[in-house]
Amino acid sequence: MFVFIVFKHSYLRSLKHILGWAIPLLILGVITLPFYDLVAENEKQIRPIIRGLSPIIKSFIGGELAEEMLTPQGYISQRYFSFIPVMLGLFGAIAGSGMLVGDEEKGYLDLLMSYPTSRTTLFIGRLTSMILSIFTIILFGWLGLLIGVLKSDSLDFTGGQLILPYYSVFAVTLFFATFALFLSLIMPSRSSAAMTTGILVLAGFIVTSLSAAIPDLKSFAMFSPITYFQANAMNGLNILPVFGLLMCSTMLSILACLKFKARDLRIIGESGWSI
Amino acid sequence: MKKTNFAIFSENLTKYYGSHLALENLNLEVNKGEIFGFLGPNGAGKTTFIRILLDLIRPTQGEISVFGLNPSKNSVKIRRLCGYLPGELRLDENVTVKWLIKYFTELRGDDSKTAKKAYLLCERLKLDLNPKIKNLSKGNKQKIGIVAAFMHSPDLLLLDEPTSGLDPLIQKSVIEIVHEAKNEGSTIFFSSHIFSEIKSVTDRFAIVRNGSIVDIQKTSGLTNDSTISVKASFIGNIPNSNDLKVLTNVFLKHSFSDEQTMIFQVQGSMSSFLKFLSKYNVDKLETTSEGIEELFFSYYSTSHLLCDQKDNISK
Repeated sequence: MFVFIVFKHSYLRSLKHILGWAIPLLILGVITLPFYDLVAENEKQIRPIIRGLSPIIKSFIGGELAEEMLTPQGYISQRYFSFIPVMLGLFGAIAGSGMLVGDEEKGYLDLLMSYPTSRTTLFIGRLTSMILSIFTIILFGWLGLLIGVLKSDSLDFTGGQLILPYYSVFAVTLFFATFALFLSLIMPSRSSAAMTTGILVLAGFIVTSLSAAIPDLKSFAMFSPITYFQANAMNGLNILPVFGLLMCSTMLSILACLKFKARDLRIIGESGWSI
Repeated sequence: MKKTNFAIFSENLTKYYGSHLALENLNLEVNKGEIFGFLGPNGAGKTTFIRILLDLIRPTQGEISVFGLNPSKNSVKIRRLCGYLPGELRLDENVTVKWLIKYFTELRGDDSKTAKKAYLLCERLKLDLNPKIKNLSKGNKQKIGIVAAFMHSPDLLLLDEPTSGLDPLIQKSVIEIVHEAKNEGSTIFFSSHIFSEIKSVTDRFAIVRNGSIVDIQKTSGLTNDSTISVKASFIGNIPNSNDLKVLTNVFLKHSFSDEQTMIFQVQGSMSSFLKFLSKYNVDKLETTSEGIEELFFSYYSTSHLLCDQKDNISK
């Protein structure tokens, strides 16, 4: 019961922030997808341009598969899904680092923890709220894609097909969120945890993208969660990487919960490393 | 006496924040149903002690219990019995007063009695329910904290500087609410650095200095003008507690860490005590009539603090 109360209030109070991420994502889908009609019409002119690009530049639009941008599935995966994990990864960094430590640093958690709720209850309530926040944003993103497809003359995907890459987006976002959550509980401040996770998101994106052109980077890219993101999943999702990322997120959540239960609540302004 | 007989019991309670010592061997027994004052300046350890009671932080060593329950093992049970007003009250700024009060009542189990009392207290403290928290003054935010602490008629109230930021009229209302809670059987742990408040509200009080309790007094005992505090510095031999037994009206209250300075409490005539002191080589002698202020400042005098600094350096 208390888990539900904490969950409900956490979700409702962050609804404005959630919509702040969800509505732009919806608009992005609505705007981006109908442009495929232009791409399809001008395919003969665009294809030689793509072929003429240097491997490094090409690596940011799919590398060897860059020309697939001219197909409906390739267009959606490269023009839309390629940077969604970065965008939502940054959301995960902010949401995860702020899940507990945001209120702790503001001093709000002091009063809240004087109520008859255990630390585990508070943790689960807030984690559930964060997961639902990610789900809400994804739902808006999916709706945007669906509207975009309906507006386009050349795209023909079902809602079921469009949701498949979002399973992967969800797993990657949840990984970064739980990673930031764990860091926030051991690092001196929320901002340092959010910043570190943000750098990992961006560095992961760059390394994963460049590894298509620079084979030496492949060994580094395997450590980036973005490598396991499946932008092309509309015709079939490989469940194993999704499952792997969800398992890692579960492990990070358990570690974060144990840390939260064991440590002192910080006084406003107090901070320090505590592993 | 068993620790279950006390509302709060602590023995050799010590807390370090990293290398900083916040509480040192703090021993305290607060009786059920009393208003107990915790007097000390900022940084003395008052808030740290309250936060340990609620299991917001854990002690480094020592024992602590609330109604016989260990906070680390029974935090939820203890929080159910307690109402807490933090010294630095921070609230979610983007919600309305009504939203927050509703959340707090839900967290207390949402029984109609709690909700009814919460709204009655809002009315009594003239707290408008509609504005957002960010638009409230410090005093109005403090009122929300008071409502949150008292609304469920808790067995133990932990009030960390409850009248801070309030205007005199509301201060008076809060003090009335504290007395009403006592009459209903609540125990009140009242942290403050306002002497008049400690004097008018509490039954007993402790003076906290550098994380330790240096004195515990009955508030009523300090209104007696015939009680005098004598601070004496000795050269060479110092009196021991056995020597003092011959004097029925003199008590040793504190022995400073330099081991040459002592504070005595003398009730009534000073003549026998002066005769007693003449046997020793007394370097300095200061006398003050025993009020809370005098008592407090006797523990926070410059010479005393210097002794502590020396003590810390030698450690």
